[in-house]
Amino acid sequence: MDVRIEQIGKEEEELVLIRCRAVTEEVREIAAFVKSRQGSLSGTAEAKQYEIAVTDVCYIESVDGKTFLYTGDGVFESAYRIYELEELLRPKHFLRVSKPMLVNLLKIRSIQPAFNGRFTAVLSSGEKIVISRSYVKALKAALKGE
Amino acid sequence: MEFKRFLINKLILFFMLSTLITVAVALIGSAYDSEARFGYDSMLTPIKYAGLCLLPTLVTWSRRELSLKELLGRKALMLLLLEGVILLMAFTSPAIDTERADVVLTIAGSVLVIFLLANLFLWLRDSAQAKKMNRDLQMFQKLHG
Repeated sequence: MDVRIEQIGKEEEELVLIRCRAVTEEVREIAAFVKSRQGSLSGTAEAKQYEIAVTDVCYIESVDGKTFLYTGDGVFESAYRIYELEELLRPKHFLRVSKPMLVNLLKIRSIQPAFNGRFTAVLSSGEKIVISRSYVKALKAALKGE
Repeated sequence: MEFKRFLINKLILFFMLSTLITVAVALIGSAYDSEARFGYDSMLTPIKYAGLCLLPTLVTWSRRELSLKELLGRKALMLLLLEGVILLMAFTSPAIDTERADVVLTIAGSVLVIFLLANLFLWLRDSAQAKKMNRDLQMFQKLHG
């Protein structure tokens, strides 16, 4: 696939156009990547496709090979793998806090000690998620902006 | 958990146990045998006890992170092994009058108290860390929110 970048004037609307022979998985991934860079993620719930603002996502969890986005009031399945979202959403302040989970640092209300070096993050939605011991160091560094 | 990190934690626990065992020996000794006098070799007793007490703690090691249920189960097993090790040492030591039931019960109770205190200290350490993280979290959210 050839990639062309065309500079346009301020009065024109910016647009990413993908010209393809067939809408393959690869094309969908590119489209999803562009959307995520703009601050939204595609997700499905009850066979319907939704665009979810990244800022609305509290945490992301991988369950049995499927990835789910949790907002305060809904759960959406994402086509992405958790490691892909980890990379993609790092600039949006998402951080891995356990093997199957990423959390939006801006959605954490407080952090509480759990047992044996683990912690619990209380989210603005009221949900509690476990911060694994092996990810605590990375969380501390991220909160300090390192 | 990384085995290296696990060993560092055990080293911290060793020093904590040495201190707590010294306090326990002093208190129990004062209560039951306050006239006894010992040589310099007895200074090593808390260190030996702490070293032996570390062995049962190895049951809590796991490469993957244990669930809360698994961890509580292993901690209970660790406490039983600790009681076993300490009582075995007490029964084989000529200096401890293990024919007195109150002495045996006090030793067993001390192990339980030290176990609970050690876990309380770990909890307090985690609480202090959580407090610091919450302060950093507030700053982070002010900056990026």
